Amino acid sequence: MRLTDLYRTTGSRLALLFLVLLAVPSLVLFAYLYWQTTDYLRRGVDDWVSREASSIANAAPTDRTRRLTVHPGLDPQSTRPFALFDPRGAFLLGTESSSLPSDPQFDALFNFSQRRGKKQVPFRGMLRRLPSGEILLVAQDLREIDRFNDLWLAAMAWAGFVALGVGLAAATITGTSALRHTEDMTRAIERIAGGDFAERLPVRRNGDDLDRLSGIVNRMLDDIQRLMQEVKGVSDGIAHDLRTPLTRLLAGLERVRRHQASEAEYQQAIDDAIFETQNILRTFSALLRISEVESGARRAGFASVDLAQIAADAVEFYEPVAEAKNIALTIEHASDGAFRTLPGDPSLLFEAIGNLVDNALKFTPEGGSVTVRSFARNGSMGIAVTDSGAGIPVNEREAVVQPFYRTERGQRVPGSGLGLSLVAAVARLHELQMAIEDAAPGCRVVLQRGAVV
Amino acid sequence: MSDVTVRESARVLVVEDDAQTSAEIASALRDHGFEVDCAADGRAGLAKAASSSYEAIVLDRMLPGDLDGLSVLAAFRAVGVETPVLILSALSAVDERVRGLRAGGDDYLTKPFEFLELTARLEVLVRRSAAPQAAAETRRSVGDLEVDLLTREVRRGGKVIELLPREYKLLDYMMRHADQVVTRTMLMEEVWGFRYGERTNVIDVHVGKLRRKLDQDGKPSLIHTVRGSGYVLRAPH
Repeated sequence: MRLTDLYRTTGSRLALLFLVLLAVPSLVLFAYLYWQTTDYLRRGVDDWVSREASSIANAAPTDRTRRLTVHPGLDPQSTRPFALFDPRGAFLLGTESSSLPSDPQFDALFNFSQRRGKKQVPFRGMLRRLPSGEILLVAQDLREIDRFNDLWLAAMAWAGFVALGVGLAAATITGTSALRHTEDMTRAIERIAGGDFAERLPVRRNGDDLDRLSGIVNRMLDDIQRLMQEVKGVSDGIAHDLRTPLTRLLAGLERVRRHQASEAEYQQAIDDAIFETQNILRTFSALLRISEVESGARRAGFASVDLAQIAADAVEFYEPVAEAKNIALTIEHASDGAFRTLPGDPSLLFEAIGNLVDNALKFTPEGGSVTVRSFARNGSMGIAVTDSGAGIPVNEREAVVQPFYRTERGQRVPGSGLGLSLVAAVARLHELQMAIEDAAPGCRVVLQRGAVV
Repeated sequence: MSDVTVRESARVLVVEDDAQTSAEIASALRDHGFEVDCAADGRAGLAKAASSSYEAIVLDRMLPGDLDGLSVLAAFRAVGVETPVLILSALSAVDERVRGLRAGGDDYLTKPFEFLELTARLEVLVRRSAAPQAAAETRRSVGDLEVDLLTREVRRGGKVIELLPREYKLLDYMMRHADQVVTRTMLMEEVWGFRYGERTNVIDVHVGKLRRKLDQDGKPSLIHTVRGSGYVLRAPH
């Protein structure tokens, strides 16, 4: 993790930006307060100096002498020196270390400095010439104000330093965390790109924009994983379902070649081979049809289709099969006269409904019943095929739609294992929802679109 | 298919680029009793069709070169060749089929197909072009089986047979194509009006029921199963 990377992250950039945005007005505010406070303090000094100078100058001579004599005792540090000089400038009374400035101005405030020990000390003061000709000096040491200013500046510097520190720390922390998150994401993406589709992008659950993005990508990965499993299931199914008949085909052909077969045996072997090959072709055709239906290409040939009529045709088509098995195959229609037709491919819908009826007849024992109900009401339309068979266990209801999936009972019934896959594909093509329900006893498969009844 | 042959041998042109497929088709058609010519591309096919007369043409949808199947078909019709054309295609999408038929094709078969299916469909095309159906026909008969097309009454040996509407339709189609092989797919398309993808044995159940109704009182069977996937309605010898 390089430092430049760190401060390039969005989080730390934002933190630094806020630091600057906060620092500029703070500086302006501090400067203004500093200037105002200093000005106020200076005016206070000026007021005091003028007032004291006037008060002493205007006092009676005895009172003035007393105040000038007492004052040095009250101000041992000589921070507020009072002094009286004779007209020629010689010290007479007051704070002893005081001396007359070299270029005296009278009755106005001025700055000057005086030596106190080794240091030059700044003063603000005023000179008054008394009626007697003597000169009065009243002054104040300015180092108090300077000390206050120093404290003020130090406080400002500290505050600024702390703010800068906090800002940088915040930038570093958010940057580090963001960088760590993106690095985690990068690693996860690299693993996914490397073929590990079970991997997911890290989500920190704080709902930030990266999290939302990760969430979307993760849902996409779920879909991809599901699709890949389906594809794998189909490939495995093809491999398994074709290997068996191909093996039988090969074994049969090899057997007649090994034996000194009679012509009749050759005939039989050829018939068997043709039968197996046709079965294989049929499986292929069914797969191709499912993929054709799923590609949506057949939507180009859609016409307005009466679902109830097609259901009736399918029932009529399977009637003799039901009769042979002594199953009561009935058709019902419930309609409130609302919309009856949907855009669709009649042959595909016939095949789909036919497959459902075919399945229902296969899995219903003799003497049972199969009911096909078409409905068009309350803004919904569809068909439901209900049988009185053993039903499909809840945990297998999703799986039976997968290509080549056979339930345990289904293994004993002839079929390609592709029927319900085709039904599901046809349903999707026609925007029909497919649901497998428990008819207690038996199974109900519903294909419908629109509001749920 | 030795049990069903064309009365006088019809000439069929096969336009197919794959040599092996072409040879297999030709062989199957010759076994059926057709006389067969082959062309390996669209130009050769067009030249043959224009210079000689055929009863039917089998045309591959995908041909190499500048003339694909549909262009060849359009060219046939443009130069006045009205011979019925059966299109063979690896493309099964419904709009492909519609395009093929709209371009002037008379039938459409998707690869892989069974040869029985091909010969049966060709037979229908050949007979249709040879003998246009008489318009005023009101009765039809095969052996001792008679159908009144107006009253829809079916009799065998004078005895009335009650049929359900669908059974009547099935019988009607088979009688119109008497002595020809009709496949399950053809029955599904013509009698039920649906193109069914997967072969289904439900058709067998329907045909079986019809056969039982026709063959009452120990009379010889009229409907015969053709090994593979078809039936033929034929008067007993």
